[in-house]
Amino acid sequence: MAEENLLTDEFLRQLINVGEVDIVVGLSTHNHAKTVGTVIGAIQSGILKCFPRERVAIINADGGSQDGTTELVTNASIDDLRRNSKLYALRTLHSISVRYARLPDPSKALQTILAGADLLRAKTCVIISPDSTTIEPDWLQRLAKPAYYDNFDLVCPIYQRQKFEGALVRNLLYPMTRSIYGSRIREPYGSEFAISGRLGTDFLGGGIMNQDWSRMGPEISTTIFALTGKYRVCQSFLGAKPPSSRSSHDMVAAMRRTVGALFASLDGNFPFWSTISGSQPVPTVGTSIDVTQETARINRKRLLEMFSSGVAQLGPVLGAILSPSLLAELQRIAALGIDEFEYPADLWTRTVFEFAASYHKSTISRDHIIQALVPLYRGRSLTFITENRDGPGEEIETREESLCADFERLKPYLLEIWADGK
Amino acid sequence: MPPKREAGWYKNAVIYQVHVRTFFDSNGDGVGDFAGLAQRMDYLQELGVNAIWLMPFFPSPLRDDGYDISDYRSVHPSYGTLEDFKGFLSIAHERGLRVIIEMVLNHTSDQHPWFQESRSSRDNPKREWYVWSDSDTKYRGTRIIFLDTEMSNWAWDPISKSYYWHRFFSHQPDLNYDNPAVREEMWDVMKFWLELGVDGFRLDAVPYLIEREGTNCENLPETHAIIRELRQRVDEHFPGAMLLAEANQWPSDLRPYFGNGDEFHMAFHFPLMPRIFMGLRLEDRKPITEILQQTPEIPATCQWCLFLRNHDELTLEMVTDIERDYMYDIYARDKAMRLNLGIRRRLAPLLDNDRRRMELMNGMLMSLPGTPIIYYGDEIGMGDNIYLGDRNGVRTPMQWNGGWNGGFSNADPERLYSPLISNPVYGYQSVNVLSQKRTPHSLLSWMQHITATRRSTPVFGSGSIEFLYPANHRILAYVRQLGSETILVVNNLSSAAQSVELDLRRYKGNILIEMFGRNIFPRIGDLPYLLTMGPYQFFWFRLRKI
Repeated sequence: MAEENLLTDEFLRQLINVGEVDIVVGLSTHNHAKTVGTVIGAIQSGILKCFPRERVAIINADGGSQDGTTELVTNASIDDLRRNSKLYALRTLHSISVRYARLPDPSKALQTILAGADLLRAKTCVIISPDSTTIEPDWLQRLAKPAYYDNFDLVCPIYQRQKFEGALVRNLLYPMTRSIYGSRIREPYGSEFAISGRLGTDFLGGGIMNQDWSRMGPEISTTIFALTGKYRVCQSFLGAKPPSSRSSHDMVAAMRRTVGALFASLDGNFPFWSTISGSQPVPTVGTSIDVTQETARINRKRLLEMFSSGVAQLGPVLGAILSPSLLAELQRIAALGIDEFEYPADLWTRTVFEFAASYHKSTISRDHIIQALVPLYRGRSLTFITENRDGPGEEIETREESLCADFERLKPYLLEIWADGK
Repeated sequence: MPPKREAGWYKNAVIYQVHVRTFFDSNGDGVGDFAGLAQRMDYLQELGVNAIWLMPFFPSPLRDDGYDISDYRSVHPSYGTLEDFKGFLSIAHERGLRVIIEMVLNHTSDQHPWFQESRSSRDNPKREWYVWSDSDTKYRGTRIIFLDTEMSNWAWDPISKSYYWHRFFSHQPDLNYDNPAVREEMWDVMKFWLELGVDGFRLDAVPYLIEREGTNCENLPETHAIIRELRQRVDEHFPGAMLLAEANQWPSDLRPYFGNGDEFHMAFHFPLMPRIFMGLRLEDRKPITEILQQTPEIPATCQWCLFLRNHDELTLEMVTDIERDYMYDIYARDKAMRLNLGIRRRLAPLLDNDRRRMELMNGMLMSLPGTPIIYYGDEIGMGDNIYLGDRNGVRTPMQWNGGWNGGFSNADPERLYSPLISNPVYGYQSVNVLSQKRTPHSLLSWMQHITATRRSTPVFGSGSIEFLYPANHRILAYVRQLGSETILVVNNLSSAAQSVELDLRRYKGNILIEMFGRNIFPRIGDLPYLLTMGPYQFFWFRLRKI
């Protein structure tokens, strides 16, 4: 059940006024005034269009915004007091905001939202990113419907991506989650997802959120919790993923939150994933969305520089993480020119697995391990871009499937090095 | 001796709507009559109502339950004679009960002698008493009201070989109010009954009196002129007599029917009624408060009439499509329950026979601004029979006891004008006046209590209303005020217990006295006033500063 310290008196009072609901839509914000207006408008429209009769509440967990974010969210309420509202709603729509912390903490934000949903006995909780300016009203239905009507416990998104977008998901998070946990969830770290009340309650009460790996990446931890439990999981086609506002300097933070959480999850879930081989498809809802052409210009040379300099400068660190043969191979390809450079799938897979094993054994500081992976990931990204530069979207899917097959094929290698010395 | 008609008596009335045919049969022919109704006036006096609205009792072929009148100055022989009516009227007045009767101005039966004359020839003196046309293309675009049965507002008359206009059933031709003779005749009809001593009229279907090309033929200025003229005559010759408008319109379109206090005294608030039902099932006050926010101010001498159910279908004309679909899905899942644009069910079945909901709904009926109307039988929770056709399922015999014909009649059951409700849940064996009179906590006993409480203060009938908007949208709370008297009403629309914090700082220092048990509640201070309420519970608090 929800912990007491998540619920301030004011939040509790707001929840009492909202009462029991069918669906909660949760947003975690911190100074999102530039984008949250668009997002909240789409959410409102989605609720009125797709769930006009259901009792829906919007819960905003805010990490100390100073730019008017929370007012934008609470203004989305539709009730009999706001007589100038142009929107017609059959019933009251509550949009409440709670400040859960002075500084952003994604894990605590998710906990707060889930605690609210739990107390309101919501059958379904949909999480929406306040950055998703490409959101359409129908996203709400595409996420909520499988959970609300079809009794799925977790609904993960599938985004329409530009050609080279989502490289981290395509090259690491998806294939590794798939091979480890045996489930073909395309976006295990989705900014938008829906969970059932049952899963939310179990997630809150299972002590998971107090674990380090869960705190590092609450979104991926939700996915992993669902995959390792007896929960029904599906994925739903949404639409275009909004371009990331993060700069390349944020890659370390992104790696911590995603790869770090994924690596950390392996420790406690070993009994589960160690027995799984291969992977199973996941029910997919909606119409598939084609990959679109890349619009951003990618600096391939810069990527190669980052890889090569990383390999060179982090030699001792990489030496503590990787096997000598693998490190030697990386040093070899680091010397290649832009036209010859290739970071093959097989090599990349073994790299990731050796990093995971070292993380498990904490051969050096775990955070340093994650940081050290960043330049190597740059190299893999370069190969991903090079391989797919000229081809159509279908070829990206084919290569990705091949990469996943490599991850699944080499899983015994991970198991072999998991317990052994390096 | 009729009760003295003080000005505005209707504002503090509690009206009982009844059809004489349904109430009590005194002569064993299977049909209720005026002699029988007279015998039951004690019951109504005990119930606590102080006005009766009688549905049409005039001679009629009864193809629309008496709204198709063939003689305006008499009584249908099934219900008795004019003398019987006078006898009933006298007894009602002796018990302090005023009597309001129907006056169907807009149309007659096609069996009325006027229409028979009108159709006989284009030269007949009464030809222009109705609206005739050689084609059916005039007034195109006028909505059809009885959608389930009528395809057009024009009907072909094979006798006069022309079309006549009818806004309701085709056997109910519309009178032509552009004809001064028609207006004069209808005033004469009204005068006839007023001179007998009736206290007012419910004027049926008033928006449709006048037709004009290029309009929707509803609520036209000429119609209002006719009403003003009638009202002026009533005031002049029969002061204190009341005119009640039956106009199923949006609040803004209803407002003109009050004029400047020179048209109708009262009008039904049709749009509010379905929204009370909606708010209950949504567990959300929004539909109720929003329609009342849109309700315009009316002249001080005028009054809204509030009702939960009546003899017609629960009309869903004045709601949006989304709201109508919701109401159908929630209250009339069986399509046999739907008729025209409405639901032909009684109050108790609509509320799943839930005593708590029935109390809450009646609590709102009695405390929202307006004069409440109780539909006969709803005070004991009578059921309905949707298989009787048209709206007859909500017009079954009154259930007096569990015996022969439910105590309604000594006739053979097969002779009754309508079968009784006889299923185990709502049947007369279990739902009847006698049983409930013997039970101190019956619905009937409760209705007596709430009616008495309502009438104990003029605040409900004549006071202002101000809504409170607590953050808990399941709570409908409002303050009624008249002079120095203030009443706080709090309704929990939810099926679950609720807590609510009310901002009552303006009334700081007042003690709340709950009006039914007369217990005192804490004094209002600076902090929000916290109340916890059980499912569907409501409070009426009188505020006192001591």
